[in-house]
Amino acid sequence: MSAPRNTFLPRFAIAALVGAALVALADANLNPYLLSIIQFIGLNIILAVSLNVTNGFIGLFSLGHPAFMTVGGYVAAILVIPPERKAALLPDLPAFLAAQEWSFLPALIAGGSVAALVALIVGFPVLRLRGHYLAVATLGLIFIVQSFAVNLRGVTRGALGLSGLPELTNLWWVYLFCLVTIYVCWQLKHSSLGRTMLAIRENELAASCLGVKVARMRILSFVLGAFLAGIAGGLWVHLVTLISPSSFSFILAFEIVVMVVLGGTGSITGAVLVAVVLSVLTQLLRPVEEAANLFGASQMIVAFVVLVVLITRPKGLFGTAEPDLVGWLLRPFRKSKAA
Amino acid sequence: MNGAYLLSQVANGLILGSMYALIAIGFSMIYGIVRLINFAHGDIFTIGAFATLASIAVIQAPFPVVLAIVLVVGAAVGLLIERAAFRPMRGAPQVTGFIASLAVSIIIENLAVLTVSAQPRTFAVPAYLNRLIPLGGLNVRMIDIAIVLLAIILMIALVLFVRFTKIGVAMRATAENYDVARLMGININRMIGIAFAIGSALAAVAGLMWGTKYGQISPLMGVLPGLKAFVAAVIGGVGSITGAVLGGYVLGMAEVLFVGLLPPEYSGYRNAFVFGALILVLLVMPNGILGRSTEQRA
Amino acid sequence: MLRLEDVHVRRGGTHALRGVSLEIEEGEIVALIGANGAGKTTTLATISGLLRPQSGRILFAPGRGEPERDLTKMRAEDIVAAGISHCPEGRQVFANLSVTENLRIGAYLRNDKAAIEKDVADIQAQFPILRSRAQLPGDRLSGGEQMMLVIGRALMSKPRLLLLDEPSLGLAPQLVEQIFDILAEIRRQGVTVLLVEQNASMALELGDRAYVLEAGSLVLHGSGRELAGNPDIQRAYLGGA
Repeated sequence: MSAPRNTFLPRFAIAALVGAALVALADANLNPYLLSIIQFIGLNIILAVSLNVTNGFIGLFSLGHPAFMTVGGYVAAILVIPPERKAALLPDLPAFLAAQEWSFLPALIAGGSVAALVALIVGFPVLRLRGHYLAVATLGLIFIVQSFAVNLRGVTRGALGLSGLPELTNLWWVYLFCLVTIYVCWQLKHSSLGRTMLAIRENELAASCLGVKVARMRILSFVLGAFLAGIAGGLWVHLVTLISPSSFSFILAFEIVVMVVLGGTGSITGAVLVAVVLSVLTQLLRPVEEAANLFGASQMIVAFVVLVVLITRPKGLFGTAEPDLVGWLLRPFRKSKAA
Repeated sequence: MNGAYLLSQVANGLILGSMYALIAIGFSMIYGIVRLINFAHGDIFTIGAFATLASIAVIQAPFPVVLAIVLVVGAAVGLLIERAAFRPMRGAPQVTGFIASLAVSIIIENLAVLTVSAQPRTFAVPAYLNRLIPLGGLNVRMIDIAIVLLAIILMIALVLFVRFTKIGVAMRATAENYDVARLMGININRMIGIAFAIGSALAAVAGLMWGTKYGQISPLMGVLPGLKAFVAAVIGGVGSITGAVLGGYVLGMAEVLFVGLLPPEYSGYRNAFVFGALILVLLVMPNGILGRSTEQRA
Repeated sequence: MLRLEDVHVRRGGTHALRGVSLEIEEGEIVALIGANGAGKTTTLATISGLLRPQSGRILFAPGRGEPERDLTKMRAEDIVAAGISHCPEGRQVFANLSVTENLRIGAYLRNDKAAIEKDVADIQAQFPILRSRAQLPGDRLSGGEQMMLVIGRALMSKPRLLLLDEPSLGLAPQLVEQIFDILAEIRRQGVTVLLVEQNASMALELGDRAYVLEAGSLVLHGSGRELAGNPDIQRAYLGGA
């Protein structure tokens, strides 16, 4: 069952308000540790849903999200750090950058924009590749970005990374961008643009015969995914107050891709659900693995679960469908109303 | 820059290229027959290195025996992975297999960290392998010569096997068309298993070489060489064994010369160079140097 | 020798075979004719084990007095070993194999090396072009030569029953005639043939008996001559008025 478009806005509004209430409640009552966990879950939602635009809607198999997060994270961090601290941390920073001191939101958006710009530049050559080749080329992008982060010491402080970043990210920011991401992606999927993308995924040749500018759509979805990933990168580094060249590795790419694939490529609801379940699962397993001194066991278990799901449900849990969660949750209320 | 320096760089390129080529062959064989990029391939390289360490340290086996053990361990692990993870999802979209191989890779790496810890380990190499041998104005370690020779012997053996034996011909037939191969009476799963076994055994031997040459191994050592060998396979033309060999040597040589000949401040961009080269090659020659534009099989 | 009993096959959402029953006696050439999409190729692929039927039995005995086995429970490679060779539609030579390797791979399940080489030589004697082009990659042959190669390859497994799918497809008329001469020769050598053909007039002329398949069901059956004289068949398949 998928929710038709005309019921989306009211449902989205209800869900957003309920979510906001929960966020307020959580913000007031939970300890910082739990709050940070919830924020990571939110970040995973942003990452999974945005990667779904590239991998799910249009069928480009990209692993490049960590590269865009690194770009977005560095840009946001450098813009936000106060000039006096920059003088100590990055003495060789070009003067025009050293003088900047931006507030959080514009810095995040700048990070997203630079990531999108990188995607645009890289996209023109790379998006001509297909399937596996694209996957490996985008994976290579992670290593290329990493190389630059390590070696452009004047701007990034090399392998040491930038530490002691201001703790600007909070649950509200994460929640806001979750909503924005889900809203934008949902509207996109159900717009003519989104249907064009799905058409390209299903049959590229047929789509291009119908006059669809396939290359342009590819770049568009890649750039949009990169923009959101860049923002997520900015949020992430101001949550952990640290960024280094190895902050976002290809393991992360795997985790995000798994969320998309297990949720069902193209299903936003599926991506959100799996992002939540997987993050919670990882968080629950972490104390267990620490207690048992079995570091890495949680990753193994997740990978194992992935294998089992792939073997038993190769199309992911939901395919491209959007199960009507809000309607499902509201059902008891409706029944009581009818009675 | 003098001639001897250049020569030693070329020698180093040849050695690195030999190892890349051995790993790349497996990528190429497996891709050729099941259209799967096996991300766990780099981990089999790691397993080969640890099998070497174990057979030297634990049972003090002489080196030829170590080599045999490593070949067998590599082949066995390859068969196991194919049986447990990839065979059940035969026929699923390519991306599914790719993600499954990433999952397998993560399982192996974490298992390795859990069992042998992430600490790098050194291992003692028999003294005769470290002996210096004068060769064309250079002093070359025995191990370096052994690596290149062994790699070349294995590659020739493989090419002969694929070209002239019945199984080899059947593997080529299978790579081309499953259904018609089955109509010849060929057991497809057996051919795929053989491709996994051979490719994995070669990757494991590359792990042995890496460990003996650099003297240090760790559970995550296979990630980068694995990825780079994939790049080598793509450069050569995925699916072609000779292409993989060629790509391995081209990439090994290019990487060593990039680091050795450019000013030192560029050497940090080594990995960026390799993956940049990949993207460039794919754009100029989408099928690699020797790959032919094959049919698209889902 | 071969008996299909109420075989049903589903392919992707379509019900491709709806209860097909047919029988082939040893030494016969049986033709299976019908329009595109009637299920002819599906029938052959089901017999040779490439497709699994939803229900029904396919019983095969390689010779008189030998025990019957149900092919629906066997793997494709075991069906080859049992004595059935399927020469698929569209020629399908192995492009990565030389002409001779293509022939040898047909004998994949045999282990008598000397006899295999003798059979290769025999087939090359029958089709001299396969000797003069022995080392070329299979796909470098012309269409007619490729057809000879795949028929030769199918015979290399020493089958008792040959399933032949559209041998005349895309070939010039004199080549078609040559192919049908070859079929007659194959029968003389004691191989039973199940022939699927678009070229119905040829098939009915050559076939001892024929079945007509329409939308997954057999609608007519008779001797080749009978069917060739049937006005419905003439109208539908032979281009007659």
